[in-house]
Amino acid sequence: MISLIDRPKKIFYILFIFSIFITYLGYLFYLQAIKTGDFAIRAIITSRRVEVLPSQRGEIFDRNFDVPLAINNDSFALLVIPAEIPSELKETVFSKLAQAIGISIDEIRRKIPPSYYRLYQSIEIATGISPEVVFSIAERIDEFPGVSWLSRPKRNYLESGSFSHIIGYVGEITSDELKVLYNHGYQAGDIIGKAGIEYQYDLLLRGADGKQYKTVDARGRKINITPFDVTPPQMGSNVVLTIDRNLQVLAEKALGQRIGSITVLKPATGEILALASWPSFDANQLTARGGNNYFANLLSDQRTPLINRAIQSHYPPASTIKMVMTTAIIEEKVINPEETILCAGEISLGDRIFRCWIRKPGHGRLNLQEALAQSCDVYFWEVGNNRLGIERIVSYYRDFGLGTPTGIDLRGEASGFVPTPQWKERRFNERWSSGDTLNISIGQGYLLVTPLQAANMLAMIVNDGIIYKPHLLHEVRSYQNNEVVSVIEPEILLQSRISNDAFRQTRENLRSVLVSGTARYPVNTRVVEIAGKTGTAEVGLTDRWHSWFIGYAPYNYEHIEDVIIVCAMIEAANEWEWWAPYATNIIFQGYFGNQTFEEAVRRLGLTRQVTPSTERIE
Amino acid sequence: MIIANIKSVLSKTDWLIIIISTLLTISGILFVYSSGINASGVLVSDEYLKQIFWAIISFLLLISFLLVKQKLVFEYSFIIYVFFIILLFYTLVFGRVVNGSRSWIGVGSFGIQPSEFAKISTIIFLSKYLSSTIHEAGSFRRFVISGLIVLLPFILIAMQPDFGTAIVFIPLYLFIAFFLKINLKYLYFLVGLAATIILFILLPLWQNLALEKPIDILRIFYETPFVIYVYILGTVIMLLSLLGYFYFKKKYYFWIFSSAVIFIIGLGVANLISGLLKDYQMMRLIVFFDPHIDEHGSGWHILQSLTAIGSGGLTGKGFLLGTHSHYRYLPTQSTDFIFSIISEELGFLGAGIIIFAYFILVIRLFIIMNRTRDYFSLGMVSGISGLLVFHFVVNVGMTIGIMPITGIPLWFLSYGGSALVAINIGLGCALSAGARRFEIERN
Repeated sequence: MISLIDRPKKIFYILFIFSIFITYLGYLFYLQAIKTGDFAIRAIITSRRVEVLPSQRGEIFDRNFDVPLAINNDSFALLVIPAEIPSELKETVFSKLAQAIGISIDEIRRKIPPSYYRLYQSIEIATGISPEVVFSIAERIDEFPGVSWLSRPKRNYLESGSFSHIIGYVGEITSDELKVLYNHGYQAGDIIGKAGIEYQYDLLLRGADGKQYKTVDARGRKINITPFDVTPPQMGSNVVLTIDRNLQVLAEKALGQRIGSITVLKPATGEILALASWPSFDANQLTARGGNNYFANLLSDQRTPLINRAIQSHYPPASTIKMVMTTAIIEEKVINPEETILCAGEISLGDRIFRCWIRKPGHGRLNLQEALAQSCDVYFWEVGNNRLGIERIVSYYRDFGLGTPTGIDLRGEASGFVPTPQWKERRFNERWSSGDTLNISIGQGYLLVTPLQAANMLAMIVNDGIIYKPHLLHEVRSYQNNEVVSVIEPEILLQSRISNDAFRQTRENLRSVLVSGTARYPVNTRVVEIAGKTGTAEVGLTDRWHSWFIGYAPYNYEHIEDVIIVCAMIEAANEWEWWAPYATNIIFQGYFGNQTFEEAVRRLGLTRQVTPSTERIE
Repeated sequence: MIIANIKSVLSKTDWLIIIISTLLTISGILFVYSSGINASGVLVSDEYLKQIFWAIISFLLLISFLLVKQKLVFEYSFIIYVFFIILLFYTLVFGRVVNGSRSWIGVGSFGIQPSEFAKISTIIFLSKYLSSTIHEAGSFRRFVISGLIVLLPFILIAMQPDFGTAIVFIPLYLFIAFFLKINLKYLYFLVGLAATIILFILLPLWQNLALEKPIDILRIFYETPFVIYVYILGTVIMLLSLLGYFYFKKKYYFWIFSSAVIFIIGLGVANLISGLLKDYQMMRLIVFFDPHIDEHGSGWHILQSLTAIGSGGLTGKGFLLGTHSHYRYLPTQSTDFIFSIISEELGFLGAGIIIFAYFILVIRLFIIMNRTRDYFSLGMVSGISGLLVFHFVVNVGMTIGIMPITGIPLWFLSYGGSALVAINIGLGCALSAGARRFEIERN
């Protein structure tokens, strides 16, 4: 048969056709028989969407466990899947959305640039959206294609003011924090505690997000209603603090608008019952929109409202240190407590004259008890310099926990400072002088303590030689049913070998401060017997001093559990009112008389001295 | 008489081609149906009904063209060709824009794409011209005129703009010209030119995306001062070799001359096209190298198609049970990506059978070409074969990721009335040529 096609062309054509079909069949075989496993997995992964099941952050309660201090409010994040908005509707939807949530359309455009328009991923365009706004969008969801929302509860602090320093606040994790915390399961976008209890117990409070997988189509719509691979979220634990809300409010009001702090602790366990520091801040403003501005204002405020003065500031303890000196004098038996020393108002040391706070003609002859009650500087100078000596003084101060952080469960605690001759030589290249010993004997000079350490000094005396570690966490409860998960047991921070007798005598002497001494008039409550010590620290100003009062009650306790210690510290920056003893007086009156601040103030006749606290909203 | 001897024609018809094409069309309807089912198992598209309608119409047309006297087609081929050229003009002016191309005419949902029919009319007229001039087989004039016959519809369709469909005219021409004895030198020239153009379009993309570092030497082809020197140098070489050819009559001067022309034109056209290509078209070429570059955009189609096909495995997920297609991960799944659905639901066994069916069709068409006694028939059948092979290579190649994405449908299977009707008319002509291989219809 004759063909119109040449033989070479036939062969070429047949080879050409064969090679095409064999290549295609072979490649299809490669895809469907050899590589099929990879693609099968990819087909599942592609159509699988992980959905985060958010965990609720635990709530924070005070020790009474009635009304929470910090809760979670309903709040939403608004998400947009750009590819789901038909391109001709993009502008309309954007402007409607901007109107609905009250942000500018440019902000939406910035978050969804045109290069994202074909993206099937959701983009977060706003957070902190209230349920009302979300409902209004949900009602008209036809007008908002591609818009969805995610529950993102917002932290709400029911108590602000002085509570803010304790509870702290939350915020979105920063990239620096994430670097450190990534291995602990934190992720970008997480809400994390930034300060206070929120920071300290973040792992307890946050719980763990759960997740579930759902099958979705190319537009992200769910196909399988039943989720699979569900990991339920672990709710954060509820945290119960040792803080007593009523006492905290009482302390806050007793402090009023004075720069300083009030610390109330229970020496039997180390529980902090109140911890007020002024000025403070509003945690809710920090977490709200525009919180960054507020934070910047706080940072630039000269009065440093972000500092918790009860633990983050240290001051010269002044005469309050005489309670430690008294214990040392009795324990070391360097002088018979009944032996008197003459106070002529001043002593001279070399070419320097040291004046007792009472100036000439002085206290006259005083024994130890009288010297403590009158807070005579000369007595403690004489005994401190000539009988105890600097080595023993430093040793006792350290035994009482000075110069070392207490380990309270709040960040940024200051350690205070106990100077030594070695330190002075190293630091200033100067010999330790007797004058230095005189200063340190009455709590001046280089000696620095935090108000919490000061409270602990008295705790040592009240507890017969034991300081329990101060703490704010009382117990942890489960989120679901509030069952107690764990209770914090008291932990011994310091234990001294000083005899109980020395402590007992010291307490008697401290009682005389209230009965016949310096605090007799300002601390005059009748509801309970108090023992304690005043302090007035020189800061180089002629008319202002740091004002201290550290006291405990009841003086003659039957059960140590009943005892509370109050340490009030009012900085010299305020107008001079000698307020610390008065503030303490109000707190003891209110606490033991079971009265509110206003009732206590009225009973004590202090109404005129009280400044209104503007920061408390009730 | 219009109708030939029915009995004689039917007895000599290659029924295997009709059976296979019908089976493929039925499979097409089934999978167009499948593609219309969404994730919840609800049918959301009535495309399959339209496809049934078009299938019946096109089957009737296939039989009609099988029965119509071939002489009639031969005689009217010029008028048919001109008619569709005018229709293409009309489309360019009054056509409806679909997917960015002005390629449709018609009313309501019943429109046609003249470009699909222009393929067939061009095949017929080109075959007529080349078979009539077979006595001057190797002449340059014949090459130029035949080229112009194809170039006219090519340009009109490219202006719609529908590059994918326009490009089909190149293999169409090459197939017919190859068998109807255009001087092979010219065809080498054409193939060389096409290869050079593609090379120069792809080189910078390949350099940027696959190699990820610049090759300095490439800059001379694309950056302004250098590329001009390159053109000048090429032209000088071209002119010198031309002079050499005329003076010395040495063969190799001719080859140098041809190479220089191919190089200059190829580079020029490539730079021109690179400039003309729209961003999305460029992106389609880019993702051809690496679909992950634009996973959610242009690369999406390739990745999802590959995933659908690969996850089908050997035996597939079962008819209507493909997940990737019903979850709508495949774009335009009833037209461009119909092969992906078939592969996902029927696996390698089903997809392999489909490929084999196309292979059989091409082979049976070749048997007709081999036996036919007139060049007009040979030209028509080879043109139809060229279309079939090219559509198969590009469409299936696109779904398995070895060809860039172009909107070229897969014959018989893809949804689309115009394509189906045009194919069957073409196939009817081819079958008719085969059935009359002993009739002497010289002219």
